[in-house]
Amino acid sequence: MAIDTEKLSGAESLRKTRTYGKVRCHNPSCMERLQPPAGADHIKCPTCGMEYRIYWVNPNLPRIRGPVWDVNRKLAEDKLASINKSKSKKAAKKGGD
Amino acid sequence: MALDRKIAYIDLSTGEIEIKPIPLDVRKKFLGGRGLDAYLLYNNKEQGCDPLARGNTLMISGGILTATCASATARTHVMAKSPLTGLLGSANMGGFFAPEMAWAGFHHLVIKGKAEKPVYLWIHNGEIEIRDAANLWGKTTTETQWAIREELGDDEIKSAVIGPAGENLVRFANVMTGIKNSAGRTGMGCVMGSKNLKAVAARGTMDIKIAHPVDALEYNKRFINQITSAKVNQTQGTLGTPFIWGATNSWGGIRTRNFQYNQCENADDIEPERIDEICEETMGPYHMTGCFGCQVHCRAQYKIPSGPYAGKYDEGPEYTSQGAFGGEPDCKNAVTVLTGNHLVDQYGMDNLETGSLISWAMELYELGIITSKDTDGLDLKFGNDEALLEMITRICYRDGWLADTLADGGIPASEKIGKDSFSYLIQVKGMSNLHSDERATPALALNIATGSRGSDHLRSRPAIDLYHLPEEVLRKIYSNPVPYDGPLSSEHTSYDGKPWMVFWQENCYMGVDCLCICKYHTTFLGATLPNFEDWTKVIYYNTGLDMTPKEIWDVAERCYNIERLFNLREGLQREDLKKGDTLNHRYYDEPCRRGAIDVIGATIDRKKFKKMIDEYYGHHGWDENGVPTPETLKRLGLDQEPSHLL
Repeated sequence: MAIDTEKLSGAESLRKTRTYGKVRCHNPSCMERLQPPAGADHIKCPTCGMEYRIYWVNPNLPRIRGPVWDVNRKLAEDKLASINKSKSKKAAKKGGD
Repeated sequence: MALDRKIAYIDLSTGEIEIKPIPLDVRKKFLGGRGLDAYLLYNNKEQGCDPLARGNTLMISGGILTATCASATARTHVMAKSPLTGLLGSANMGGFFAPEMAWAGFHHLVIKGKAEKPVYLWIHNGEIEIRDAANLWGKTTTETQWAIREELGDDEIKSAVIGPAGENLVRFANVMTGIKNSAGRTGMGCVMGSKNLKAVAARGTMDIKIAHPVDALEYNKRFINQITSAKVNQTQGTLGTPFIWGATNSWGGIRTRNFQYNQCENADDIEPERIDEICEETMGPYHMTGCFGCQVHCRAQYKIPSGPYAGKYDEGPEYTSQGAFGGEPDCKNAVTVLTGNHLVDQYGMDNLETGSLISWAMELYELGIITSKDTDGLDLKFGNDEALLEMITRICYRDGWLADTLADGGIPASEKIGKDSFSYLIQVKGMSNLHSDERATPALALNIATGSRGSDHLRSRPAIDLYHLPEEVLRKIYSNPVPYDGPLSSEHTSYDGKPWMVFWQENCYMGVDCLCICKYHTTFLGATLPNFEDWTKVIYYNTGLDMTPKEIWDVAERCYNIERLFNLREGLQREDLKKGDTLNHRYYDEPCRRGAIDVIGATIDRKKFKKMIDEYYGHHGWDENGVPTPETLKRLGLDQEPSHLL
């Protein structure tokens, strides 16, 4: 078994799919690729409205440190309220409480 | 050659030691590490025996690549029947122990019986000696390692040891090496304690002959480049594994307050970046270190900056300690996480199990199921950092009714506590779940429900499912080395194709565990990291063993089925809430309340989940009860097991 320097393994061939300088929105049905400006400390997803704090592992490698907590809480509460409202409507239709 | 390392059978009851070679045909079937350990356990343990009785057998091993030129072959594997779950016990640690054991001439130890008084094993260049450990008993994990070095007069000795938790038969005690490297799940340290075995010390200077040394080194450069160029490993080399907790908490996949929330809000002080700052403040800018032969360097070094343990040195914390002593008990103080991590390291106790059980007890306390009388006056509320740290020490020493109860593990504790306590216990097969919350990720939920050692993220988790990879990329990964043309979905909230991904990852992680390389060097957190195809070259250049990717896959599948056979023999049943492939009802009944917008409201769909398990069993060639069919056993060459080949 000689080393074939030309032939790439499956894993090696996937290297070209790596993207640099971008993060993905953490909202599962969004997952938009976001490119924070160099050195930026937060970014808002233009698609779903989630807002994140950014940390730079190195000048080319940003990562999401976490959500902006008050924005995150507000979005969560709105979503929960909407789910509960929809549940109440369904229950009312069925004649429940 | 690299494969000439031996296996030693050590009977602590009689003091007999038998050393044997490992035949090549056995190697080809089970490779080494976890795979060969599974074979040895199935063949050597008395069926149905008490895990703490003499009939239980403990295996400690390296893999077939251990101590070769290959990258990150640092892992030590430990296996026995688990005193925590009554099923498969299996744990794996980094550090430097297994390479030292290989240089001392051994790849596998099979330890039977029970010593009359505390002993330790001394392994040195082909010889094994059972030595008195009376002066080591009672020492912490690091004290024990230094005392052995002093006694034997060699600072290069590497030891796998237990701390006070193992001696006190805490059922989730670790086997440990170095400062924090822990074979830390399923209570393997408790098994060592039950055998009066305090430590295994190794020092070796025996050469390991590399089959094709120039090619091995040449190829390793390529392998290392692949490893270190991955973004995920660059992040790990900067922030360590805490970045995983941080990312998961960001979208709402972290269980908090036991299982009441799926995100630890406003947790800035325990985020990886903050922990990194403390490491830098206390240890300087170059505070990351690594295991044997690894280039990633994901292990941070720190000193506790304040509090009663101020100035104490430790390593980590791993993301598991962030979850166990941060998110789950809702303690948002970095010093608490660092101190909790230090305590479990010194005691030799599983951080995940400890933190999970204390968080469970906190929920029971807040619900009134246990009271201050049960806690001996401790106000065991969520967010009480002092109570959390106090409970860690109490559990180690079984100090008080509640601590003694928790030290026996979740299921026995729930039986003792009674009332409705079991329904709040977040466990699978008797082992507490990782701090992650899988309600929004069906693939990950399937992975924890079916893991062979209980709820587990390191046996089959398709973590890259969270990356929203294009289907063609998924297909490139998951259609090799065996073809797969079924469904695959980029959506991690989907149920489609996930059973195959879990099945594939099982075999991938089993392969890694047979080689005893680190999981951060394979398709775990990074989609572009090496797997079966790359391993064929590493194995060949280092050991001379010529295998195809499919043959390695077959070994992995074979070994996983041996683990399944073991679990079935010890009582696993599909729908058993205590020993089966099941999830706590809260996964189905309680929607997520925090996290990213579309995580909120998520639950696992009971019907779809059942279908996933059926499909997963189908991929394995198991029947509807999860039992391997005769055809499957024959295909894998397991129809004559236990065969006692070795």
